[in-house]
Amino acid sequence: MNFKKTLVVYRKETLEVLRDKRTIFTTFILPVILYPLLIVGFNSLMMRQTAVLEERGATLAVADQINTVESQNLLKEIRQIKNYHLLPYTASSQELYRQKDIQAIITLRDSVAADGLKYYLISVQYDKSKELGRMVYSNLKEAIAKQEKDLQKAYLNSAGLNPEVLNLVAIKEVDTSTAEKKMGMFLGMFLPYIVIMMLVAGAATVAADLVAGEKERRTLETLLVSSVGRQEIVFGKYLTIITLAMLNVVVNLFSISVSLKFMLANQSKDMAGVQMPLSAILILLAAMIPLATLFSAILLSVSTFSRNMKEARTYEQPIMMLAMMMGFISFLPTAEINNLWALIPVINIALLFKAVMINEYTLANLLITVGSTLVLDVLAIWATLKLFTTESILFRADDDSSSLKAVKKDKRMFFNPYYGLVYFTLALVVLYYLGGYWQLKDLFRGLMQTQILIIALPVLLISRILKLNGKETFRLKLPAPMEVVLIPFIAVSAAILVALLAQLINLVFPFPQAYVEMLSKLFTMDKSILRVFLVMSVLPGICEELLFRGFLIRFFEKYGAKTAVVISALLFALFHLDPFRFFPVLLLGLLLGYLVVRSGSLYNGMLSHLINNGLALLLTTFGSSAWLKPLLSKGDNLHFWLAVPALLVLSAGLYAFHKVTAKGDQACAE
Amino acid sequence: MIKVNNLSKSFPKKDGSQFFAVDGVSFEARDAEIVCLLGVNGAGKTTTMRILSTVFQPSSGSAEIMGWDIKKNAQQVRENLGFLSGDTGLYNRLSGREFITYFGRLYGISDSTIAQRIAEMAELLNMNDFLDKKIEFLSTGMKQKVSIVRSIIHDPPVMIFDEPTAGLDILTARNIVAFIRQCKQRGKCVLFSTHIMREAERLADRIVMIHKGKILTEGTLEMLREDSGQTDLDDIFVFYVNQFTDETEVLAHEF
Repeated sequence: MNFKKTLVVYRKETLEVLRDKRTIFTTFILPVILYPLLIVGFNSLMMRQTAVLEERGATLAVADQINTVESQNLLKEIRQIKNYHLLPYTASSQELYRQKDIQAIITLRDSVAADGLKYYLISVQYDKSKELGRMVYSNLKEAIAKQEKDLQKAYLNSAGLNPEVLNLVAIKEVDTSTAEKKMGMFLGMFLPYIVIMMLVAGAATVAADLVAGEKERRTLETLLVSSVGRQEIVFGKYLTIITLAMLNVVVNLFSISVSLKFMLANQSKDMAGVQMPLSAILILLAAMIPLATLFSAILLSVSTFSRNMKEARTYEQPIMMLAMMMGFISFLPTAEINNLWALIPVINIALLFKAVMINEYTLANLLITVGSTLVLDVLAIWATLKLFTTESILFRADDDSSSLKAVKKDKRMFFNPYYGLVYFTLALVVLYYLGGYWQLKDLFRGLMQTQILIIALPVLLISRILKLNGKETFRLKLPAPMEVVLIPFIAVSAAILVALLAQLINLVFPFPQAYVEMLSKLFTMDKSILRVFLVMSVLPGICEELLFRGFLIRFFEKYGAKTAVVISALLFALFHLDPFRFFPVLLLGLLLGYLVVRSGSLYNGMLSHLINNGLALLLTTFGSSAWLKPLLSKGDNLHFWLAVPALLVLSAGLYAFHKVTAKGDQACAE
Repeated sequence: MIKVNNLSKSFPKKDGSQFFAVDGVSFEARDAEIVCLLGVNGAGKTTTMRILSTVFQPSSGSAEIMGWDIKKNAQQVRENLGFLSGDTGLYNRLSGREFITYFGRLYGISDSTIAQRIAEMAELLNMNDFLDKKIEFLSTGMKQKVSIVRSIIHDPPVMIFDEPTAGLDILTARNIVAFIRQCKQRGKCVLFSTHIMREAERLADRIVMIHKGKILTEGTLEMLREDSGQTDLDDIFVFYVNQFTDETEVLAHEF
């Protein structure tokens, strides 16, 4: 790659973006005027509001049913509150209260109890939903408390006791948090959210312009025929987006910190002069860089994929929504960064941000956050490069998602990636809501209904409606005898490896207790082992294979068999809605996809899937039996040495399978 | 020097079959020669030129620009090539000078050389009044002049013009036509595409007729007149298209 040319592209793009009035407005002008307006304006408005309320005062109706010196004293006290007027309670008082002409009605009563003490009951009728009502109540409470103290003192005095007994216990507040930390807590809640939003919004505007915009203005071809390479173009544009996104963040942070300083100076004394520590700002900016690179790469690939800016902005929306929701986690008071959260993009930065603000984070958090973000980053930029060198994407002419009408005419059109993703999303939503509801009602029945009604039935219905050749579409070809012999070896060894991987993940990131309990509930249903086997192995083996390896994989085959296998495995892993098992399930999906595509027989996948699930069931059910003991360490965990024979058997099995199926489906994976 | 040998480009259709936009095309264009790729819209002219300028990869066949292979030496091909089309967009927020300088730098030319060439061309094309104005404020004719200078800033030996006058008014189009002639005078090899017969008639040393991705015929205007027995280029073109359609129809009947 020619770095000099990358710089040429970068400099030109930055110059051009900075000449765009919209960018100038959203990057510089908006943040500079927004925060002072928000923070200072809101603050002064609040203070003014209180002042206005105090000025306005209140009118109260009093029904003094005691009418002694004590009650008169209390009313005198209340009259002394600035701008407070007292009216005697009359028949029309309630009406006046409803009309809001008087703000509260006070009723004074007393009673003499058996112990000879005189008790007072003061009822205050007011509207708590009104700012004025709340203010009146708090003023009254203060006046009443003062009066009570006087009464108590007088009583004690008359009884010949020291009135100081009322002050035997004093509370002294010792707050170890510094003013900085208090502010850090407060900023840590909302800053990550704002900064992430600004970052994404800033990057999105620029990204849409840089590739989709060039397509729209018909300048892309000119650029491509110049002697600059596509890598250089991509990296030049990529750097531009990162720069502008970071610039946006810097300007925003600066504006926020200045506005805050101004606000705090006007507020309580202990917060005056407190600033956002510079070191925290610098760490935050540094932590935002990986996120900026990640979003820039993702948004650049979206822009490359889109035909015009409008389309790019549309595709950017869900990404921004997702980032927003993930950034929102900083508002949860209990969410704190740990090594598991640090693996999840956006969320990790939001939580790290929060931790940095109160200076409670570890180096491991920081490194994992940056590292995991960078890994995704590389993936995203690789995808952009790939898109940028795919002419069918770069010069995408018209919409390639064919209409349903066209599908009726030509069934081959149905199996395009767009419909595949739509179907998958629908299935996922139904699984989550309907399946979840069914399983909550009755786990066993629910699982059965989920497998048959949600996973398998719609596929069969669609196949029926479109009059597809099921045998051909779903690869319902009987496997060769040799394949059937090999499958158990492959499935068992793979299941062991997958289980070991899950154990390994558990070691590094221990599963939450609730999760473990939920899982074990699945395997220890109050049913006979045969029925559990049916619902945990047989049905998933048949139904899930039909959906993923029979149906969904077909939508992506135009990208080649390998890609189709990978995508179907990804969807398969996502479908389990379980972050802890994502990687194990993904690997299983890859294996099953390979077996089916390679042999051209879905039955191989079904058999393998059934054995895999059955094995897991076997371990949990018979884990304590003597004949399984040698394989298990503690509980139902497998010994890690099992990986060695499992790996050997799996490689041998796959090698043999590859040989046996050499004449079969030409496509192969892995 | 352009050499095109049995070049094909196919795109997948929605139903899974392949559509051949360019189908076994072969021709040559020598230095100091203007060759016209003549055909109706959708004949495969733009696709051919996009392959030659390495924007597209060919499905099969090969082509050379100044001896550089378009697949193996894409970078060198682009360095030896100037490309101009009628509907090229420009970066509106840059000035003409900045726009041209940007491309000059992308070709790796020194800033002083760029400045010198801009000065020469600006004098020649009468551009000094608007060279430093933002492109968004320029007229179509002015923009086209900026594009012309952009296309030749690296002084390439081969120029490719894809429908260079499409969408332009007569006066602007004349600028282009003059520019194409000039390129030839400077010894450059010129390939231009058009669907306008008069343009081909006036400019081309040789005409390559292309239809539905295939070459109908090629030769000088005189040779084509003689071969077809027609005088008007319109009639000559229709003659060859009919011949082609008959042939394919006959082929279709045979199977």
